[in-house]
Amino acid sequence: MSFPGSAARRLAVALLVWSACAPASPPRAGVATRVVSLSPAFTELLFAIGAGSRVVGRTRWCDYPPAALDVPSVGDGLAPNVEAVAARNPDLVVLYAASANATAEARFADLGIPTVTLTMDRLADVPAAARRLGALTGQDARADSLAAWFAAEVDSARRHVSPAPRRRLLLLTWDQPPVVIGAGSFQHELVSLAGATNVFADLPEPSAQVTIETIAARDPDFVLLMTGGREPDWAERPEWRAVRAVRERRFIRVEGTAFARPSLRALDAVRTLRAALVGEP
Amino acid sequence: MNRWVVLVALALLAVAAGIAVGPAGFGIGDAFAGLLGHGDHAAVAIVRDLRVPRVLLAFLVGGSLAVTGAVLQALVRNPLADPYLLGLSGGAGLGAVAAIAAGVSSAWGVPALAAVGAIAAILLVYRLAVVADAVLDTRVLLLGGVVVGSFAAALVGAILALSPAEGLRSAMLWLLGGFDGASWHALGVFTVYAILPLALLYRDRRLLDLLSLGEEPARFLGADVEPLKRRLYLAASLLTAAAVAVSGIIGFVGLVVPHAIRVLWGSTHAKLLPSAFLLGGALLAAADAVARTAFAPLSLPVGVVTAVLGVPVFAVLVRRWAI
Repeated sequence: MSFPGSAARRLAVALLVWSACAPASPPRAGVATRVVSLSPAFTELLFAIGAGSRVVGRTRWCDYPPAALDVPSVGDGLAPNVEAVAARNPDLVVLYAASANATAEARFADLGIPTVTLTMDRLADVPAAARRLGALTGQDARADSLAAWFAAEVDSARRHVSPAPRRRLLLLTWDQPPVVIGAGSFQHELVSLAGATNVFADLPEPSAQVTIETIAARDPDFVLLMTGGREPDWAERPEWRAVRAVRERRFIRVEGTAFARPSLRALDAVRTLRAALVGEP
Repeated sequence: MNRWVVLVALALLAVAAGIAVGPAGFGIGDAFAGLLGHGDHAAVAIVRDLRVPRVLLAFLVGGSLAVTGAVLQALVRNPLADPYLLGLSGGAGLGAVAAIAAGVSSAWGVPALAAVGAIAAILLVYRLAVVADAVLDTRVLLLGGVVVGSFAAALVGAILALSPAEGLRSAMLWLLGGFDGASWHALGVFTVYAILPLALLYRDRRLLDLLSLGEEPARFLGADVEPLKRRLYLAASLLTAAAVAVSGIIGFVGLVVPHAIRVLWGSTHAKLLPSAFLLGGALLAAADAVARTAFAPLSLPVGVVTAVLGVPVFAVLVRRWAI
């Protein structure tokens, strides 16, 4: 099963490498030069569009690209420590759109620190955020071309999903109480692009609490574990044996931060997932 | 009509309803066919291995919490007493959250550490309340419970603030309580564990009547008050700790069911304890059925349902009969 658009893929890899290595264009007047990024997804995107050298603060969860680890951490990204962020003397703070960040946003406004609040839940949010951050950091050209490439790749992947019978996956994020991924999450999109079906595709939420009975009744073919590692301990619990995929130890394990947040690497995650699905009986 | 008949009928109805309905979406007929082992394999597994142990566990935990609440209300002579008041919920929460934050992932790790936390809180509160000559001061018991509970809650807050966001939500969901961990195994363990404290509490039913008059009157009427108080406190608390281990923290049942029984039926413990057991069990089994099905495929924390169903009923009781 070869993935369509491998030429585009090579181009994109080249582009990513180039943007990570090439020096940022000299700052224009009115563009941000000291950026604090309050989400790992934004940090990753800022580095990808060539604005990595302008990032002066990150969250403690920002671990990609590895160069991001050299940037000082300001702690958590949700409900951030305003003083720690202000101490980095930023001229732009990038916030994730969540009610937990409303207070911090108001405090930054009081301090006269410019902020931008972006949604980052679905794959479609990635190119939109890339363009916006590109405009704010003066990296418009790179950001726009990466955004256009990504949107086209996702589109092409969507059009090339094989119509063969789809494996039905359970995307479980917590076992007690069971919390599953619904259609509102990019992880649901990754699964669809890989040619599989999320058994909770009818839930509009990014994630939701359900019962084991519902899971047993929907009878997924596989349980997808996106944190890698060994076989989960909860699978030993007797109540989970009512779920066929758990009883028969039908787990698919993938790992990597590309599964943890929406990013330009989403299509790599889709390829990994496809390969993992092909390997299963 | 005989009240026992009504209570037993309510209990049977709640258990039957709990087995009949569920988010899997097959009909009541199929559910009972599955119970008898007929029908397709998946339905049989769902009814026999998920629903039946879950309903029975909810019933048993609800009954245990109601009995514990009744005993603690008599022991501290305070209508606000409930199974979690005496520092237990704080201790259990601390144990559970610490387990999740530390990445304990073994199948029984979280409930086991919750029980350890609850027992640690029990012993700490007990130690605070035992003053000179091994006298258990029930006022200090109440205060100590609240103080230890607040302390544990503060530590829980600190752990939640410092730990990764994903596990945090899971810890909160676990604390809200529910029967997602129910299985024949969990039911068996809880049953074996609960029989002894329930029997001990029931054995003291007449002494509980005396104790609810006050410690002095109870002493004059011949009760050996100090050992009685210690026995009641430890049996009730250990029973609650076991309930926490299998179902998290489920509020309201232990507070309100004993009051409802007292209002409707008087406060003789020989009647109060078994009837609170039946009503508490029926309420929790029914509430769990609602929690599983009302917004299926989503599920609600069962404590939300017990409060939403129970508070209006209780408000009517309070208005009609003074407590």
